Amino acid sequence: MRELALNVMDVAQNSISAGASLITLTVAEDSAADRLSITLEDNGCGMTEEQVRSVVDPFYTTRTTRKVGLGVPLFKMEAEMTGGSFSIRSQKGKGTVLEAVFVPSHVDMIPLGDISGTVRLLVTCNPTLDFLYRRSRDGREFTMDTRELRQILGEDVPLNDPEVSEWIAGYLEEQTALLKEEM
Amino acid sequence: MTVQELAGGLGAEILVEGDLSRPVETAYVGDLLSWVMARLPEGAAWMTVMGNLNAVAVCSLKDGACIILTENAALDDNARQRAGMEDIPVLRVEPGSYETALRVAALLGETA
Repeated sequence: MRELALNVMDVAQNSISAGASLITLTVAEDSAADRLSITLEDNGCGMTEEQVRSVVDPFYTTRTTRKVGLGVPLFKMEAEMTGGSFSIRSQKGKGTVLEAVFVPSHVDMIPLGDISGTVRLLVTCNPTLDFLYRRSRDGREFTMDTRELRQILGEDVPLNDPEVSEWIAGYLEEQTALLKEEM
Repeated sequence: MTVQELAGGLGAEILVEGDLSRPVETAYVGDLLSWVMARLPEGAAWMTVMGNLNAVAVCSLKDGACIILTENAALDDNARQRAGMEDIPVLRVEPGSYETALRVAALLGETA
């Protein structure tokens, strides 16, 4: 995809379809090591070993409306094209962990893009699910946990309330800017 | 014009036969697969250097007429096999995508 953030959005849909109630997205940048890793972990229905092998095949899809599923295959390809790596670990009934590691200095690196926008959209479009977003860069990090937000907001304010969505956008923007500030 | 005729006009090597009688409606050039996935017109001859399984999947998904690998780009074995199963012709030419596109446009009778 032209932004990795769009790819994360696409792949996260698989976790949602798998019936996950908690999805953890970790985006970690390490400039010294020249690595960017994106990890998506869910507590959905998981996959058998055979399914794990087949999800990287674009001609395998759980969708019935078309016979091609490119979300995971493209994500894998984009990581590997930069000299990075890709892995999926899954256990039936427990959940799935997908990790893509990129080498940002590589000429074929696709920009990360608006990952905060992806997180905000995932939360507001799926207000009944919980998301834990962990973002780090060279030793600094912040997290956003919708379970904590729920505690603060109470039961009457849904996560897709426009004001909550605005707050999330502002928080993510501010925290991401802090990560990028010169030490 | 069919894929077979286009291949003849380009002097292209036919790596996978597939449906060579398929009419070519238009053409498209692109290598970033996710980008092409959103834009490849149906019935298009698609010029690219990406000869992998994902490219075959994109062509299948968008119902392209054929893949034309330019600059003698390599075709992976699993992609070759899958293109055969999907009936997607894969051609290969030596010139780059720009030069090939000019020739395809001339053959299709399209002018700027």
